[in-house]
Amino acid sequence: MPQKTSMYISIMLVAAVLGLMLSLQFRAVNRASSGISIDRAQEVTAELKRINQDKEDLSKEINDLTSKLNQVKQGQAEAVAALQSELNKVRMNAGLITVSGSGIELVLDKPDNTEDTQIPPELMVIQDEYLLSALNELWGAGAEAISINGQRIIATTEIRQAGSFININLNRVVPPYQILAIGNPQELMNTLEMTGGLQEYWRDLGIKVTIEKHEDLTLPAYVKK
Amino acid sequence: MRMGIFLALLGLGLGALIGFYIPVALPQDYAKYMSVAALAALDSVFGGIRAAFEDKFDQEIFVTGFFSNALLAAGLTYIGDRLAIDLYLAAVVAFGVRLFQNLAIIRRYILKN
Repeated sequence: MPQKTSMYISIMLVAAVLGLMLSLQFRAVNRASSGISIDRAQEVTAELKRINQDKEDLSKEINDLTSKLNQVKQGQAEAVAALQSELNKVRMNAGLITVSGSGIELVLDKPDNTEDTQIPPELMVIQDEYLLSALNELWGAGAEAISINGQRIIATTEIRQAGSFININLNRVVPPYQILAIGNPQELMNTLEMTGGLQEYWRDLGIKVTIEKHEDLTLPAYVKK
Repeated sequence: MRMGIFLALLGLGLGALIGFYIPVALPQDYAKYMSVAALAALDSVFGGIRAAFEDKFDQEIFVTGFFSNALLAAGLTYIGDRLAIDLYLAAVVAFGVRLFQNLAIIRRYILKN
């Protein structure tokens, strides 16, 4: 009987172990079918790693490109600033903007009708040539910008007699002629006042000439008519 | 005999119950070894049943055969895996063939009686 009992016990034990193994295996297999397989997990993990690496590379590239872009932007800003200043210079030279600086004021006025009758009246009228020669002298003395009675003198400015008037920039100007010139005041002054110069010549003609130095002159811009 | 069958079924049910309800799950990596071991164990059990029909049942042979077959099958599968040899196929074939032989013999005994 004890032998039989131990046999039953062993059979039961073996059966229990078998049941345990089968059920465990069943659970494992069922879980596998519902879950994710190891291969798939590894694959996905590898892919994740690769994508993370890619992402890092790309963010590095972004930084790189951003810094390059910044550099380019900076360069662009500098270039724009340089162009702007160049443009301003050119505009100033072309007379398209108002300029200010030190210079002289030259005023030519016709003489008062006095008893000075030995001078012919047509000579007493200030002619376009006088203004032209004044301009010529002033340019020659290094004037940077000139205006006559508010008319800025530019490359295409004409100064011509039209009957008894003078037209500048197609505008009629009348005496007194106020010529503003920006440049070194002393040099501009000297070129007009030198012996045998224009001032002397004009005075001989009876024209009233006044020359003054100014520290701060403002010349208007050329206005196209 | 009836007592033995009853106890065996009881043990099987008990083991299955335990297996279904213990919180530890078999890791995915070991499922393969467990499958081969389970196959070997099944073979041993059917071998035992056949021996019982033939009146050659030996408790020691049965018990040692059960455990050693299971462990050997799992161990061989593991070694095969390490060496990249599909030894579990050999185990499956060997135990599978024996399983069916045992089943056939048991069927004949049942039919004869």
